[in-house]
Amino acid sequence: MKQVWSVIRREYVERVKTRAFILSTLGMPLLIIGIMAVVGFVAVLSEQSERQIALIDLNGQLGERVQQALDRAGYDVELAAPGTDTEDLDQQVLDEELEAYIVLDDTTASEAVFAYRSKEPPGGVRSQLMRAAIVEEVVDLRLGQLEDGDSVRRLFQGGSLEYEPVGLDEAEAEEAEAERITGMITGIAGGIILYIMMLAYGAQTLQSVLEEKQSRVVELVISSLRPWQLMLGKIVGVGAVGLTQVAIWIACVALLASLALPTLIAAASDFEELAQFRQYLPGPGAVLLLVVFFLLGYFLYSSLFAAVGAMCRNLQEAGQTQAPLIFLIIIPFMLQMMTFQGNNMQWMNWVALFPFFSPIMMYPRAVMGDVPAWMVAVSIVLMALTVWGSSWVAGRIYKVGILSQGNRPSPRELLRWIREA
Amino acid sequence: MTQNGTVVRLSGVRKTFGAHTAVDDFDLAIEPGTIYGLLGPNGSGKTTTIRMMMGILLPDGGSVELFGGAPDFARRSRVGYLPEERGVYEKMKVLDQLVFFGEIRGIARSLARTRAEEWLERLGLSEWASKKVQALSKGMQQKVQFISTVLHDPELLILDEPFSGLDPINQDVLEEIVLEEKERGKTILFSTHLMEQAERLCERVCLISRSRKVLDDDLKELKRRERTGVVAVEFEGEAPPVATWPGVSEVEEAGDAFHLSLHDGVRPEEILGAVLSEGVSLRRFELLEPRLHEIFVRHAGEPAEDDAPSQTGGAS
Repeated sequence: MKQVWSVIRREYVERVKTRAFILSTLGMPLLIIGIMAVVGFVAVLSEQSERQIALIDLNGQLGERVQQALDRAGYDVELAAPGTDTEDLDQQVLDEELEAYIVLDDTTASEAVFAYRSKEPPGGVRSQLMRAAIVEEVVDLRLGQLEDGDSVRRLFQGGSLEYEPVGLDEAEAEEAEAERITGMITGIAGGIILYIMMLAYGAQTLQSVLEEKQSRVVELVISSLRPWQLMLGKIVGVGAVGLTQVAIWIACVALLASLALPTLIAAASDFEELAQFRQYLPGPGAVLLLVVFFLLGYFLYSSLFAAVGAMCRNLQEAGQTQAPLIFLIIIPFMLQMMTFQGNNMQWMNWVALFPFFSPIMMYPRAVMGDVPAWMVAVSIVLMALTVWGSSWVAGRIYKVGILSQGNRPSPRELLRWIREA
Repeated sequence: MTQNGTVVRLSGVRKTFGAHTAVDDFDLAIEPGTIYGLLGPNGSGKTTTIRMMMGILLPDGGSVELFGGAPDFARRSRVGYLPEERGVYEKMKVLDQLVFFGEIRGIARSLARTRAEEWLERLGLSEWASKKVQALSKGMQQKVQFISTVLHDPELLILDEPFSGLDPINQDVLEEIVLEEKERGKTILFSTHLMEQAERLCERVCLISRSRKVLDDDLKELKRRERTGVVAVEFEGEAPPVATWPGVSEVEEAGDAFHLSLHDGVRPEEILGAVLSEGVSLRRFELLEPRLHEIFVRHAGEPAEDDAPSQTGGAS
């Protein structure tokens, strides 16, 4: 066991130290933050203007309201004195004293259509912000003239579908709704984590096995270790690297969220919403279940990936040989995406029982409460049995494969390896 | 550390790869405290034999015993094994790699580190300890691999072609270490296709040719037995007519010396009589021992040097 520990440590330390790991781990969040920052910066930059924008109100009702609204949107506009000649303003634009001016007239007051007169067309951000500000003011103005203006205004905020579960009282219903949303978030996040871990890190196990085999260092190692010890150490070591990466990413998200939290608190006028936010966090049960599905799914696939690595002579061969495994991971992910989009069909629950699909398909179903508990239990038992069987097979292929320098075995030879190892 | 009883014993071992028989009907016994040489051209079955000793390959027939039992994990851990195909973790640092190997061979991390540092010092690699292995030359990598096989102070060293790829200076260093380990009571088995190396180091040799054992004997004994009765003489000044001397069947000139083949039953001392009667003064008078190479050729009927075709698949 001490030796397995040494293998795990070597695998972990040597991988975490590599440039590829550091780049992919830190690079991903940095890249996302970077892209967001650049987009924001460009937007702000394009809105900076040295020259003045003017506003002329030919209708006489909107001028000050619109000036204030544009001010709130970040545009400092000068309200031209009533009776200013538009030809005069045109001249100022031509002389580049003004960048642009906005004309509010009767059509604006009725339909929120306004002119933006300039030598250059406005950028996308500016069009959107100005249009939104002016539409809102016009709507307000028109609603102010109505008796039941407030109710109409609520209409504009969009109605909503309110699901009312039959047979539950209000408190229970609220709780069920919160649970559903939590399940959804946990299910999607968990599914994606499982997918990445099995696909990316399963494949890394393959690479690690292949490297040792190709460099022949395995013969030096295997004289002191049993093959299964080496294989187990590798799988655990590579898995730990993957978990480290996921943990760093989650920590980054948490850090960003906590930096954004003061803004959230400021934005949310009452603390109720924050408390609501907390109730969407996954409970210990969902986390425990994720760990169970992760362990079973990762072991299932990485042991098979290790066997593929042991069978092949080089990466090209391995690329072809691992294809069935890759499909076994991608297919349930696609099916699960359909489910997330709301196309959940009952028979898919049975598909999710297929052990190779279970991690990605059964876990989200379990946390979203889409399947009965007995199905989850059966799925875990089936997966455990499959892990037991596949690791036995993989271990035997691995044992023979790592020391064989010949051609990739045919299916028949593979059976012989498994029988005779 | 000495043990009683045979360290390695092969009885009637046979191994085939498809239609090719790599080792056939092979017997071998290595007694503790000896340096044993496994000699033969490439592809003659040396590596296959060694892999069977290490339990990496299972024989198709016959039995393999290590320390008096099956080459199981516990017994293998008492062996320091240097495979012919020498891999390294190229991206690991030298010292880290050695500590790792020490650990998986069952010694504590701190001890592994101390010993690795001592060995690196000894082999002149100290300044490379924190470099990545891929920065080292092939020869240096080979020394690192050697250290990794002796780090856990094994009772038996099984070295497959340990000298190939080393420059003469490092070959000497390795020879010296092998002799020292023997002095410390270790048993050493190494394979080589270089007969000179074997001649200098081995106490006992086993010659393999075409998957079969040809000879297996004490080296001194073997040489005495294989002596062909050739006498080398060298004279000060003018050489006498050696071909006419009684008892001499054939004369071969070798530089300043003459190699005299004697008739059967003629003792070398009888030549001295002729020398005395000629009144010439002698610079050298030597009973020529056959070189291992010649013995090999005589028994195997093929050159023992590195020109036999090697088998495919690394299963030589």
